Amino acid sequence: MKRLRDFFQRDQDASANVARERLKLMISQDRMQRNQPDFLPRLQKELIEVIRRYTHSASDDIQVSCHALPHRSQIEVNVSWPKNTS
Amino acid sequence: MARVVVITSGKGGVGKTTSCASIGTALAMQGFRTVLIDFDVGLRNLDLVMGCERRVVYDLINVLSGEANLSQALIKDKRVDGLYMLPASQTRDKDALTTEGVEQIINELKDDFDYILCDSPAGIERGAIMAMYFAEAAVVVTNPEVSSVRDSDRIIGLLDSRTRMAEEGKPVSAQLLITRYDPERVEHADMMSVQDIEEILAIPLVGVVPESDAVLRASNKGTPVVHDKESDAGQAYLDTTARFLGEERPMRFLEVERKGFLSRMFGGR
Repeated sequence: MKRLRDFFQRDQDASANVARERLKLMISQDRMQRNQPDFLPRLQKELIEVIRRYTHSASDDIQVSCHALPHRSQIEVNVSWPKNTS
Repeated sequence: MARVVVITSGKGGVGKTTSCASIGTALAMQGFRTVLIDFDVGLRNLDLVMGCERRVVYDLINVLSGEANLSQALIKDKRVDGLYMLPASQTRDKDALTTEGVEQIINELKDDFDYILCDSPAGIERGAIMAMYFAEAAVVVTNPEVSSVRDSDRIIGLLDSRTRMAEEGKPVSAQLLITRYDPERVEHADMMSVQDIEEILAIPLVGVVPESDAVLRASNKGTPVVHDKESDAGQAYLDTTARFLGEERPMRFLEVERKGFLSRMFGGR
């Protein structure tokens, strides 16, 4: 009985698997944000403003990420910009 | 010395109050003096599930504001010895929940009880934080459903940061209770399995309560479902409480019950 049912259902997306994958992604993002300091969004916004004043980077070209090291926190800023506008 | 335990979940409607009533009742059945505190100020329900709503005179906020003392506000359960509850206020402002006030109440209760179960409101606002703040252990109630699992993860994060234990650098021992589990839907891959949820939330599993008509019947009557010892949910809560107390018991109700030919022909449900 069960095999027969499985056979016919095989093509359907197993929604539980979709749920599990979506959750894993979402929760790893949540966990990352959870450990960030409250001032980070503001700092990020101001950094981007200052950097863009000089580099004219598109906002996608500036990435600010926060890392928790064992005894301290660290932010990493990656900036790139097109050659001719610098 | 009493152990303070929070029953929490993040998401509403997953079975916190049902679980609090049943685990509390089962602890008292084992001979532990147990008190249940409803922290859901404005939306109290634990009194209804415990079936003592008509005996509420004073509530948590009355005690916090000094209008009543604890012994006036505590309601004694009529079915099980050594079981009491402290109802939440239905009308008053939850700003009256202060850390100092709650601490004073919990300290006073610690002298008299073995277990203090704090029934948390949904959400991550003041009531939920107050319910967990003094807890040494937590039961995180989760349904096999994406939003419930995500919210539980958030709550586990708060247990690790916003409790007195966390502030002192000690972990709150959090355990996972999965409720409304439906093995048939898991088998059809339409519901996440116990293993899926355990893997995502990464805290030890204390119990699995199957989706059951007995739960609704019990809350209709105001009798915690653990009294219904014939029912699957009642047995699951007894198992859960035994595991909570450190006993090892295999998980039950994880597989679809295969009905025999005769019961399929003649047996109802």
